[in-house]
Amino acid sequence: MTATTGPLALSSGEDAGRNPLGVFARPSGSSGWRGWVSTVDHKRIGIMYGAASLLFLLVGGVEALLIRIQLATPNGTVLSADAYNQIYTMHGTTMIFLVVMPLGAAFMNYLIPLQIGARDVAFPRLNALSFWTFVGGGILLNSSWLLGGGADGGWFNYAPNNGVIYSPSHGIDFWNMGLIITGIASLSGAINLIVTCLNMRAPGMTFFRMPVFTWMALVTQFLLLFAIPVLTAAQFLLLFDRLFGARFFDVDAGADPLLWEHLFWIFGHPEVYIMILPSFGIISEIIPVFSRKPLFGYPFMVFSGIAIGFMGWGVWAHHMFASGIGPLSVAAFSISTMFIAVPTGVKIFNWLATMWGGRLKLSAPMLYSIGLVTMFTIGGLSGVTHAVAASDTQQTDTYYIVAHFHYVLFGGALFGFVGGWYFWWPKAFGYALSDRVGKINFWILLVGFNLTFGPMHILGLQGMPRRTYTYRDGYGFNLWNFVSTVGAFIIAVSFLIFFWNILSSWRAHKKAGIKMVADPWDARSLEWTIQSPTPAHNFDISPTVHRLDDFWHRKYHENAEGKVVRIATSVELVQPGNPEGVHLPSPSYWPIVISAGFPFLGWGLIFNLWLCVIGGLLILAGIYGWILEPSTDPGDHHGPEHHDPGEPTDEGGTAAEPEEAALVD
Amino acid sequence: MTETSTTEGELADARTLEQEAEGRAAEADYHLGAYHEGVDHDHTLTNTGMSNDKLAMWVFLGSECLLFGGLISTFLLYKHNNLAGGPTPHDLYDIKLTSISSFVLLMSSLTMVLGVSAIQRGEESRMRLWLMTTAVLGATFISGQVYEFQVFVKEGMGFTTNSAASAFYGLTGFHGVHVTLGIVMLLSAVVLSAAGRIPQARAESVEIVGLYWHFVDVVWVLIFTIVYLIP
Amino acid sequence: MSVVRRIRVLGPAMGAAVLLAACAADAPQDTLEPEGTYARGIDRLIDPVFAVAGVVFVVVLGGAIVIALKYRARDDDHYDDMPAQIHGNNTLEIGWTILPAVILLGIGVFSVIGIFELYEEPPEGAVKVQVIGQQWWWEYRYDLNDDGVYDEIVTANDLVIPAGEKVGLEITARDVIHSFWAPRLNGKRDAVPNRRHPWNIQADEPGEYIGQCTEFCGLSHAEMRIKVIALSRDQYDAWVEDQQVAAEPFAADDMSEEAAGYRSFTGQLCASCHLIEGVNDDNFSDDSVGEFHRDIIGGPGTIVDPTLQASRHAPNLTHLMSRTTFAGAKFNLRRDTEECTALGVDWADDPDDLDRCLDRGALEAWLRNPPAEKAMDADGTPRRGMPSLNLTEDQIDQLVAYLTTLK
Repeated sequence: MTATTGPLALSSGEDAGRNPLGVFARPSGSSGWRGWVSTVDHKRIGIMYGAASLLFLLVGGVEALLIRIQLATPNGTVLSADAYNQIYTMHGTTMIFLVVMPLGAAFMNYLIPLQIGARDVAFPRLNALSFWTFVGGGILLNSSWLLGGGADGGWFNYAPNNGVIYSPSHGIDFWNMGLIITGIASLSGAINLIVTCLNMRAPGMTFFRMPVFTWMALVTQFLLLFAIPVLTAAQFLLLFDRLFGARFFDVDAGADPLLWEHLFWIFGHPEVYIMILPSFGIISEIIPVFSRKPLFGYPFMVFSGIAIGFMGWGVWAHHMFASGIGPLSVAAFSISTMFIAVPTGVKIFNWLATMWGGRLKLSAPMLYSIGLVTMFTIGGLSGVTHAVAASDTQQTDTYYIVAHFHYVLFGGALFGFVGGWYFWWPKAFGYALSDRVGKINFWILLVGFNLTFGPMHILGLQGMPRRTYTYRDGYGFNLWNFVSTVGAFIIAVSFLIFFWNILSSWRAHKKAGIKMVADPWDARSLEWTIQSPTPAHNFDISPTVHRLDDFWHRKYHENAEGKVVRIATSVELVQPGNPEGVHLPSPSYWPIVISAGFPFLGWGLIFNLWLCVIGGLLILAGIYGWILEPSTDPGDHHGPEHHDPGEPTDEGGTAAEPEEAALVD
Repeated sequence: MTETSTTEGELADARTLEQEAEGRAAEADYHLGAYHEGVDHDHTLTNTGMSNDKLAMWVFLGSECLLFGGLISTFLLYKHNNLAGGPTPHDLYDIKLTSISSFVLLMSSLTMVLGVSAIQRGEESRMRLWLMTTAVLGATFISGQVYEFQVFVKEGMGFTTNSAASAFYGLTGFHGVHVTLGIVMLLSAVVLSAAGRIPQARAESVEIVGLYWHFVDVVWVLIFTIVYLIP
Repeated sequence: MSVVRRIRVLGPAMGAAVLLAACAADAPQDTLEPEGTYARGIDRLIDPVFAVAGVVFVVVLGGAIVIALKYRARDDDHYDDMPAQIHGNNTLEIGWTILPAVILLGIGVFSVIGIFELYEEPPEGAVKVQVIGQQWWWEYRYDLNDDGVYDEIVTANDLVIPAGEKVGLEITARDVIHSFWAPRLNGKRDAVPNRRHPWNIQADEPGEYIGQCTEFCGLSHAEMRIKVIALSRDQYDAWVEDQQVAAEPFAADDMSEEAAGYRSFTGQLCASCHLIEGVNDDNFSDDSVGEFHRDIIGGPGTIVDPTLQASRHAPNLTHLMSRTTFAGAKFNLRRDTEECTALGVDWADDPDDLDRCLDRGALEAWLRNPPAEKAMDADGTPRRGMPSLNLTEDQIDQLVAYLTTLK
């Protein structure tokens, strides 16, 4: 493999020039904002995913608070019906597509290469493209607030209410195209991470030595790979309907509105697991570390994750028990939905069994993990109660469902992510968040969370429908809605504490000036065998893995009496972080150039086709530059000339075609 | 989908097995040493033995199956729905013409195979010839489709005439766009090859284009059967 | 053993606690206080499932808390004293795979039985009503002669049924998806355009049962309300008879306020959308509606010009004063006082009662500027909802006077 690659690179290996297009010089350094904009480093991309999600979390959080303020009292007048419909639609869309999914992507991007002992993902530039495209989609989606109002049809945007007659503003067009674009980002990310997991594991890192987080990430990426195109197909149909007058969802042409429901939920239910599985992975890493025990039933954890991934495809119609599908379908989906609780239950029991008999240290990451186990269980149980299809006809579309999925997605996914932040923060940023503040943060969040969403179970059973901008006095809804609003503000406080913790811990770290150790938690997986913060090149040399939890086994040994004794300290084992001889893929501006084109396509289709031309030109120019530019800059030497064959490289590209080019980094 | 599941099944690769054996040998020795003491293993090979690029194409095609799955389901739901008036595609099919253009597209898979095998043998100019032929056959198919669309529109079935028409143009149009992108890929490969940038060592890049091309062909066989042949 | 007993008591107690908390006295839409056969069947499923869920809740949450406290590292030394390294236990794994599966299978069996009970065919001779949702009100059409065409009675907002009898509904919609739900009588069922969904309701006792649309249907989804009024069989029969009488036009030389209102009604845009049988039947025609959904979009009162109303229908006003609500049941037509409620659907028969019980203020406000009273896209093309007609106060008074004659 020569350093000069890409389809236009000369086979003789001669220099293709530093600025082949003459537009701008190839970025070389990694410092300053240019370093971030042009980075192809999976860690920086992971961090940017996290930062972007946090920004969108603020947006979605403010939307949530507005919803709760409106509903604090009966006949609320803070928001109009129209404003409320837009805000709740955008709250759901933002939280799902721009917060929870990219938070998963943040952890997966950062951790997968580290946990499998790789230097980067399979296609580093494609990775950058995924991230910036996601940002572009998010910007397009949220630009609707400034350009005539957000989508107003709910995150599921059922047809025909999503048609131009019933939603005449452009909100749904923004929603539609914004999500097609984030879909492109998710899809290219999925291809990238799947190939990374399948192809780039360090020597000895067999599948059944992969940490459970990586396993869950792999299952998640397969779900994304197959679920996203179904949504994209549905969204293209909607796009044709709204912009070009097609008759896919036109009731007057005899269209069947259930087509959208089916397509949406075939995507939508796997989506639920796309959101929760990364968190399951995260706490499967945290709990063993803070229990001083290996994960109980590792193969069962892996297989239950895979089982959830498969079964997730066979339950979509449980979102449609009241929609008018026949009794046989309802019965079949009712049963299949019940059984998906089985592998989930297996996970819960295995986490508890891991803790059983351990030495539990209830640090912040562990508290969040236990929080996930318990809160998710509540969400799972309420899930079983409405898997009973007959009862679901009373519960669906009420606040009972709102309570259920917030226990699953907030109590589940988000608790896991916050736990993950506390756990991996030292590895990513070289300083630890204050554990004391983290615990306070946890308890406030736990109280706020339960106050907000617990009462919604009761509201739902009392018959309060979801997606309603107002409710009446005298329906028994007043008290619990007020409690819920109070809870929402407590959640907001807990997030402020979290942000404050980031700042104050950083300041304390600066003041103390002590370098973070590589392995602060006495952990088990490969990311802890390298320096904190992770050096740009990850591993000085590829680790060779001999067993599951290899790092732990190099630190500890079970003696003849079955007593565990330490045989090495982590300081002795970790890599010094010497980049000599490592050749990294070079940064590039082209991913962000291509990504910048996508939102213009969206604006163009909505407002003026000339904007599409701008978008198209940006994309074409980006692709052209991308192909001309070798993925590793020949003029950029990271040390003595040494071609590490293990480096993520591209074995020669293919033709200059957009779709193909996106795949060949 | 089947493609990716087979890839998943093929995961146990020779190299990892070798490492496993080594791992077992080292099992007795608990202290395996620090991570900076080891010998950096040569891992030019990927774990699956398939290059990243090729694997990525397989994975991508797996995803494409679901995209077409969604569109084909939509067509099946609406194929006889002309409640808004106008003819349905089934009223207008010219099976003879479409059979010919389908045959042309199928033949292009053959020429694609010949092109790949040519470059694998290092015969660059022959590869260019076969890829050109493939592109021309693909373009013939697209011309047939454009002609067909134009006839249908003339006979009163536009994109917005009824749900069946929307579903028909949506599905076959998406496929046509895929073929067109494939032609762009082929032509780019020809140009690159003419510039000497695709030597035998890079035969795989042509193979990857071939994978895409075959996929688009197979999808057409499916569409032809489901859309045109089954009444 | 005591642990098991505690769980046995505590578990169902937890399930019951949630259910009890939800059983507030003043919750007319409560799903846990069934007042009909179907809702009761569902309720009977809910109780045991919540009990099981409560047990699992106590076991898992209690387990997690007990484990967290019991195995908590006392200090750093204790933390560094490594526990036994247990990697797993196949028997346990199989156990906690099979056990939940068996429990769920049990629940599943009851679930399936429950489903088929809900989907039963209505009995022979049952009252048949077509329930049609549109933005943002419900139309109810009755098939009295069993010819499969729902055209004998067309009413809106209040669904009137005989108490104690199973009523067969055909639920559908004219524009977007809605969902019909009167929680004390049965679960919800989506009203989907181009689809005709069978569903049943039954009320044990005469009374009024509250519900609302539960599938998001646009702007005023929150105010698309439902009221089911169950009457004794006698009263129901009388109601049916009354509903089939057409209204009388006023003579051109009638100078009463009612007649002036009548002329306002027929002279204004009102009469292009609202059908009053015997008055403006000629304004409506379903000829332009596609054959395939003429039974839904068409029928009595189909507006000819589709830009006037996307759904092609506005509430039929022939017997407005036999209803208790208006504007998608958002507002009370009959005052919500005890004495007025006691009058039932006949509240407007006696002039004194009418005077006392008519919520004149609400009706006048509505006529003055409907979009200010309820969120609607009344100026869109096509319209969705009632536009402001810029009526003068005199016209409003006359119109109200006329409307009170529609009994």
